[in-house]
Amino acid sequence: MTAHLTEAQQILVQRAHEFAEEFLEPIAAELDRGQVFPKALIGQLAAQDFLGLVVPEPSGVAGAGFVSHVEVVQALSRSCPAIASIINNHALCVYAIAHWGSAAQKERYLPALIKGEKLGTVAIQEAGPSLGNGPDALLATRQGGGFNLNGRKAFVRNAGAADVYLTFATIQPDAESNGVTGFIVDAGTDGLNVGPRLETMGLRACPVADLSFKNVLVTEGSVMGTQNCGSVVATQVLSVSAVAEAAQTVGIAGAAVSHAADYARHRVQFRHPIARLQAIQTLLAEIVADSHMAWLGVQHAARLIDDDAPFEPEAAMVKMFVGRLGSKMLVDAIQIEGGMGICEVVPKHIGGTLPLARMFRDIAGTTLLDAPDDFPDRLIAARIA
Amino acid sequence: MTPEQQAIRQAAKEFVAKKIIPHAAEYDKSGEFHAYLLEAAKPSGIFAMAVPQEYGGLGYGPLTQALVLEEWGYGCAAMGTTLSASILSMEAVLTAGNDDQKRRFCKPMLSAGIGAFALTEPAAGSDAGAGVATAVKSGGEYILNGPKCWITNGGEAAVYVVFAATDPAQGAKGLSAFIVERGLPGFIMGDREEKLGLRSSNTVFFFLKDVRVPVANLLGKEGEGMKIAMETLDLARPSIGALAVGLAQRCLDECVKHLRKRYPAKSYPGETLQFDLADMQIAIEGARQAQHHTMSLREAGKPFSMESAIAKTLGTAVAMSVTSQAMRLMGSHAYTSEFGKFMRDAKVMQIYEGTNQIQRLVIARSVLAPPKAPAPTMKAAAE
Repeated sequence: MTAHLTEAQQILVQRAHEFAEEFLEPIAAELDRGQVFPKALIGQLAAQDFLGLVVPEPSGVAGAGFVSHVEVVQALSRSCPAIASIINNHALCVYAIAHWGSAAQKERYLPALIKGEKLGTVAIQEAGPSLGNGPDALLATRQGGGFNLNGRKAFVRNAGAADVYLTFATIQPDAESNGVTGFIVDAGTDGLNVGPRLETMGLRACPVADLSFKNVLVTEGSVMGTQNCGSVVATQVLSVSAVAEAAQTVGIAGAAVSHAADYARHRVQFRHPIARLQAIQTLLAEIVADSHMAWLGVQHAARLIDDDAPFEPEAAMVKMFVGRLGSKMLVDAIQIEGGMGICEVVPKHIGGTLPLARMFRDIAGTTLLDAPDDFPDRLIAARIA
Repeated sequence: MTPEQQAIRQAAKEFVAKKIIPHAAEYDKSGEFHAYLLEAAKPSGIFAMAVPQEYGGLGYGPLTQALVLEEWGYGCAAMGTTLSASILSMEAVLTAGNDDQKRRFCKPMLSAGIGAFALTEPAAGSDAGAGVATAVKSGGEYILNGPKCWITNGGEAAVYVVFAATDPAQGAKGLSAFIVERGLPGFIMGDREEKLGLRSSNTVFFFLKDVRVPVANLLGKEGEGMKIAMETLDLARPSIGALAVGLAQRCLDECVKHLRKRYPAKSYPGETLQFDLADMQIAIEGARQAQHHTMSLREAGKPFSMESAIAKTLGTAVAMSVTSQAMRLMGSHAYTSEFGKFMRDAKVMQIYEGTNQIQRLVIARSVLAPPKAPAPTMKAAAE
C-alpha cells in the first residue's frame, strides 16, 4: 500500500499509526461519549508535524504534501476519526491561506497554525440554498476602509475551538459578479458569536455549531484572495476537503473491516468460525474492495494536488464514490458482527474490543458533512458534457 | 382495505402523532425503555391487538396488525419494536400452547403488559440450536438453567417464552419451549444493552439459575422447541417489515419536508433529486406490497415462509437504503439533527429476529427447491 511513498513519507505514516495506537485508541470512545474537544492533543499533533502537512514549503516537514496528509488522516481515522476531522478542518484553513492569502496573512497565520498555537477552520455553508441566498446569508458591506459582516454560517466544524475562521461573505451591493469573497476572521472579534454546539451523530469530539456575525468589522487586510472571487476559492476548498474526508472514510472502513474480520475468525456458529462461511467472506471482500478503490481515488487526487494539476473532477468522483459506499461499508461490517455490532458498549458477558457502532456514526458524519446536494455530479458532468 | 381497517389505521395514526412522535427523540437519547408507552397505550388495548377475542383481546387479523405496526414504525421503530416483540412471544403460545396456556399468557396483554421471546444465547445467535440453556424435569416441574441474551422486552416483560434443551444430546431437536412468568426465584436480570439504534426498546441479558416452572408451562411437547421457534418467527417476521416500511416512509416524508424548506422557491427540484425521491418511494411501496402479500397468504391459510422472509429482508433493506439516501440528500442538516435515529434504527432491524443473511438462507431454500411436477397440459388431460 505504501510502496510508492518516499522514505520520508513512510516515516510520517509510520509515526501516524504509532501515534494513533498509543494516544488516540485509548481515548476515542470516551471523547465520543463525552463529546469532548481534546484541546490538549492539538500541541501533540503539531509536535508530530501533522498540522501543516498540506503546505510543504512553510511547514518545512520532510515528506510533507497532500499525499502524506491523506496517509496520516487515514491512519489516525482508524483509531479516532473525530481527531482526523479536526485536523482536516484545520488543514483546509492552512491550505487556503497558503494558496490564496497575502504575504502578510501568510506571515501572520501560517507559522502559528502549523505549530498548533492556533487552530483554524473554514466556515462555508449557509442555511440558504447557495451562498448569499437566504435570509441568514453572510453579507459584507463596505464600511470605512474595511467591511462590516452580518449573517450566519451553518454547520461550522471546529466551531468554538478554532482561533481562526476562514469564511466567505457576499459583498453587497455588487452588480458585477456574485460577490462572494473570502475573509479571515479571528475568534473573539467583536460581534462574532459561536452558537450552541449541535448534537451530532458521530465525530463527536469535533464541535459543530453555527457562527453568527453581527456588525463584525474587519479590515481590507482580512480579505482572502481577490475580492468577488471567493466562489472559486470555496469550491477548491470543498474539493480538497472531499479528498481529505474520503481518506477519513477509508481509514474508518479499514478499521471496521479488520474488526469484523477478527470477530468472524473468533465467532463460532454452525460449529465453525463464521469467517469460513462464504456469505461472510463475500461481505468482507466487498468492503475491502470498495475501500481499496476509494483509496486509489484518494491517492490519485492527492498526487494531482501536490503536482498543482487540476484535480476538482477527480475530487468530485472520490466524493461521489465514498458518498455512495461509505456508510454501506459500515452497514455490512456491522452485519457480520450481528448483535455485537450494534452495541455502543461492548457487553460484559461477551468481552471484546471497540464497538463498531461508533464507527458507523462516524462514517455517516464523514460522508454527510459538507455535502452540497449536487456538487459531485454537476462538476463531473460539466467536464465531459 | 375494509372500512374497519381504515378506521383502525386512522386511530393508530392519531395515537402515533399524539403519543409517540413527541417522545421518540427524547427516549432515543436516554436509551431507556419508558413505562409511559404502556400507560399511554393502555386505554386502546393495542398491546392486545393480536390476542384473539375469545381471550379478551382485539383479535386483529395479520393484515390489520401490519397496518398498525407500519404506523408505529412511522412514529418510532423502537417503540414499535416493543409492541411487535410482545406479539412475537405471544405467537409462540398461540401456535403451540393449549387453551389454558393461551389464556394465561395473553392476560397481561389485556392491560398493556408485554411479553418477551427468549431464544438467543451468547453461543446461539444465527445458530439457534447451539444454546446451552437446559430444562430438567423434576417431579411436577422443570428446572431451567442457562443464559439468554439480546432479549427484546426482556427487562420489562410480564411473561416470557424461554427455549431450553430438555435433551441437550439431541441438539436442536432436544430444544423445548416454556412459559416463564416474571418474578420467579433464580431469574437473574442482567444489564440493559446500550444499542446503536432502537435505543428505547429494552434489550437485556438474563440468566436462569434453577428457575422452577410447572410442567403445565411446557409448550407443545418436549423436543418441539425449534419447530415452535421457527414457526413463530415465520409468523412474526413480516411485522419487522411493517415497522421498517413505516420507518422508511417517515424518513422520506421528513426529507421532503426539509428539502421544501431549504428550497422554498423551487416548486420542482432537478431531475436527479426527483428521481432519487421517486426511487425511494418505489422501494418503500414494493416493500409494503411484499409485506401485505405475505399477510394475505397467511390469512388465506397458504404457505408463506419464503414470503415472510422476503418481507423482513426487503423491508429492512429498504429502510436502510432509504434512510441512508435521505441523510445524503439532507447532508449536514441530517447529521446534526434527529435524523440519525432513522438510520441507526434501520441498521438494527437488519439484524434482529433473524439476520437478513438467515432470511436469505430461507429464501434460497425455496428458490433452489426442485421444481414441482408441471400441471398437466390440456392435451395430456384430454388423452
